[in-house]
Amino acid sequence: MTEQKVGPLRFRIDFSQPLYEQILDQVRSAIAKGEIGLGEKMPSVRELAQELRMNPNTVMRAYMELERDGLTEKRRGQGTYVTASADRVRSFRAQLAERYIDSFLAQMESLGLNWEDVEAYVRRKRGAGEGGESL
Amino acid sequence: MTEPVITFERVTKRYGKKLALDGLDVAIPAGRIVGILGPNGCGKSSLFRAAAGLIRPDEGNVRVFGREPGWQTNRDIAYLPDRARWYPNLTVAQTFDWGQTFLPGFDREDAERLAAAMEIDPDMKIGGMSRGQEARALLILCIARDVPVVMLDEPFAGIDVVSREAIIAGLIEHLEDRSQTMLISTHDIREVEGLFDYTVMMDRGRAIWTGDTERLRAEYGSLHDVFRLLYRKEWKR
Repeated sequence: MTEQKVGPLRFRIDFSQPLYEQILDQVRSAIAKGEIGLGEKMPSVRELAQELRMNPNTVMRAYMELERDGLTEKRRGQGTYVTASADRVRSFRAQLAERYIDSFLAQMESLGLNWEDVEAYVRRKRGAGEGGESL
Repeated sequence: MTEPVITFERVTKRYGKKLALDGLDVAIPAGRIVGILGPNGCGKSSLFRAAAGLIRPDEGNVRVFGREPGWQTNRDIAYLPDRARWYPNLTVAQTFDWGQTFLPGFDREDAERLAAAMEIDPDMKIGGMSRGQEARALLILCIARDVPVVMLDEPFAGIDVVSREAIIAGLIEHLEDRSQTMLISTHDIREVEGLFDYTVMMDRGRAIWTGDTERLRAEYGSLHDVFRLLYRKEWKR
């Protein structure tokens, strides 16, 4: 799995996972992180399909979902652009963070851990990351 | 769900003692890029020939848009046979002239655009081409047609890497904004697995797995891995 650069976007595509979700996730996080800026032009569907050697329909579906997210907008005859609204990106990032936390908490719950346990683990992990004791 | 464009129902075809199709059951959905995958000799070419009406099944039914395959249904199908060759004394431009006269739905402008994208010189004679260049020219003759179904039998077999890349790029270029159904067979899926959104895995004249490629990925991993797993026995021989 190698990294491919398409315009300002970078992709790591794993052909053993569904492709549509990978494009969607990787573009979403590029926008959330600001790797591709507000109001910046997205690569065209054709360009992305060519670079990633992918069915244009798959890329198109991901682009349609990004539009529904409100992260991008199509301009007639000009292509697709990242939204110019910082608010929208911020609120999308908050939504995404919430979703990740939900799934993280669900996994912790499935291990039989309560919030105090989770908090203790996270604190210990952070401490370890900053040079403290390891888990 | 819309009607499938091509259906095979318990289709059997024998050549002497050899069983080419052995109760093949498969339905090709409309508007998809379908990978017909499997090792050499698994029945891929027989599937195409039966859909083009070139062979009659010994048992079972083949239907193209609900009709028996024949010259009427072939108006709607662009078919590139395995190891296809072309008249050596014709240039690419003359080949396109031929296409305009004889091939239903042939789109000259599209052919010329594809030729430029795939680096094929219109003034070059087929006879002076490499195997890969000839394969590219024939692929263009086949796909530059406004017909609902395109069938490509082993378009990547036995050609150089540059031609292979040019063909993949040409296919992606062609696929955008089109609702054609495309069937592509190959025994070597490296670099092309991202193209297929529907997959038919064949072995010994049957379809052993049929469905959305994304579902296959979610369940089993990459096509390349599935392929190696399923056909390891074949490869060991």
